[in-house]
Amino acid sequence: MKKRKNTPPYIMLAPSVVLMCGLVFYPILVTFTYSLQQMKLTEPQNDKIVGFKNYQMILADSNFWYSFLNSIIILVGVVILTVVIGIAFAMLLNVNTKIKGVLTAAAIIPWALPPIVNGVMWRWIFHPSYGFLNRLLLRCELIEEPVQWLSNRFSVILIVALVVAWRNIPFCAIVLLSALQGIPSHIYESAAIDGSSTGQMFRKITLPLLMPSLGIVVTSTSINAINVFDEIVSLSGYGDVSKTLMMDAYLRTFNFLDYGAGSAITYIIMIFAGILGLLYIRNLYREVNYL
Amino acid sequence: MKRKRTAGSRIGYTAAVVLFIVFCLGPILWSFIMSITPQSEMMGEVTTFFPENPTFGNYKKLLLDTEQQALLYRRGIGNSMKAALLSLLIGIPMAVLCAYPMSRLKFKGSVVMRNVLLFTMAIPVFATIIPLYKLYISLRLLNNLAGLVLVYITSFLPMTVWLLISYFDTLPQELEEAAYVDGGSKFYVMLKIILPVSYPIIFAASLIVFLQTWNQFQIPLILAPGHETKPIAVVASEFVTKSTVDYGLMNAGGIIALIPPAIIAIVFRKFLIQGIAGGSTKG
Repeated sequence: MKKRKNTPPYIMLAPSVVLMCGLVFYPILVTFTYSLQQMKLTEPQNDKIVGFKNYQMILADSNFWYSFLNSIIILVGVVILTVVIGIAFAMLLNVNTKIKGVLTAAAIIPWALPPIVNGVMWRWIFHPSYGFLNRLLLRCELIEEPVQWLSNRFSVILIVALVVAWRNIPFCAIVLLSALQGIPSHIYESAAIDGSSTGQMFRKITLPLLMPSLGIVVTSTSINAINVFDEIVSLSGYGDVSKTLMMDAYLRTFNFLDYGAGSAITYIIMIFAGILGLLYIRNLYREVNYL
Repeated sequence: MKRKRTAGSRIGYTAAVVLFIVFCLGPILWSFIMSITPQSEMMGEVTTFFPENPTFGNYKKLLLDTEQQALLYRRGIGNSMKAALLSLLIGIPMAVLCAYPMSRLKFKGSVVMRNVLLFTMAIPVFATIIPLYKLYISLRLLNNLAGLVLVYITSFLPMTVWLLISYFDTLPQELEEAAYVDGGSKFYVMLKIILPVSYPIIFAASLIVFLQTWNQFQIPLILAPGHETKPIAVVASEFVTKSTVDYGLMNAGGIIALIPPAIIAIVFRKFLIQGIAGGSTKG
């Protein structure tokens, strides 16, 4: 390209840069300064800079570790469910049939819906007295009493993981599907000539070639899983049982009006999200090379 | 992939398709059934799966009634629509203006900017919301539609810009060169040469922006607590968290809220799939 004056790029970028700086990057820095202060709306006269005291207080709080464990279980659950079911869906959508259009539409719907409404709908699958699952189990006489799915800590967070996965699976399936379609068929043909079984082809060809896309899917799903909030609200409200790190940050800030501690937890979440973000960038830049 | 069709593989395939559909659409169908079940049939020891006297009373109530709850519900729908359209009108031109130079023009700092952009996608909205909340209170922007929309735009700008960049990156350099030789300005070239061939991805980005705005919950929960801006997602959640006992109404409220995104997903699935797959590649 010829050498030209370099003003146009900067003018075009200006609106986005200004908005992002004003409403994203600057507030992120301010949040950090909040996290170093004692800042409770309930006792504004005591506001002062306390260094890393908020962080120390949080890390010594068993509440934090409770939420932390919930978040980790949700993260692992979401990733496993999304990847396993996502691969299965991608392979299903890769089969050429007349109903392909219907299947794609069905696959993409959960991704498009409001997460808060997803939680509301799934609540009625697991509701103790009006839920579908208990009715089915009672009908089949597999249980005698309705199971309280939404009151037990671990069953609630596993249900949250399932509902979050439900919304992430379409993304996973579509990304993997486009990767599957990019694998040249001659690779499978030569493998078939060499006498490989379907299972061998999946393990030796499909899976390795899907790895770069899986990297993207896993990191972006993890980012979503760390930030989950909406589904928790609609499945179990703002209660303590199913509290995650994000919910903890929200409650400390907007219920207990402790901005300092809320900001500190937010920064702890950001460290996790930031690591995942770096992995995401690395995965995105990794090239796929076919033979 | 070509495979021999045996009876076994056919049954296996059919079973897989059925499971797939049940998993994707089952919860929606069940919620719909709940929404047409009269309150009287819901109480007590029920183990049936379909109401004896289905009724659309809950839908009528939410869409036509003049009582407070229904009025607030419809207001929520209107608020979400307004927010979504405003986000599109401001957000998409901004994203295009940002993505074009980052993909097609060489300037200092473009690589750094790309990485910052990607990294920003990982940052939770909550990291910005506490100062924004304080700022919005002091600027009297709480419950202000434009103020809310600006925050929405920043929350999905990185993703939208990335989507456009990865598409622009695939266009051949020669496209613009002829226009530059003729002396066209960069803005003119973008408008007349690049945009016309990019409409599918711009359309996909617009759909995604619409869906994302419609689905927002955490941001408006904090920045739009008043009825004048509260979107449908927050209104629908209050049916659950404020312990309404009318479960049929709760489900109808959810079902209506998911009709616009579901229609978009069904009608424009090809564009959306292109958008989803496109944004996840290096381009």
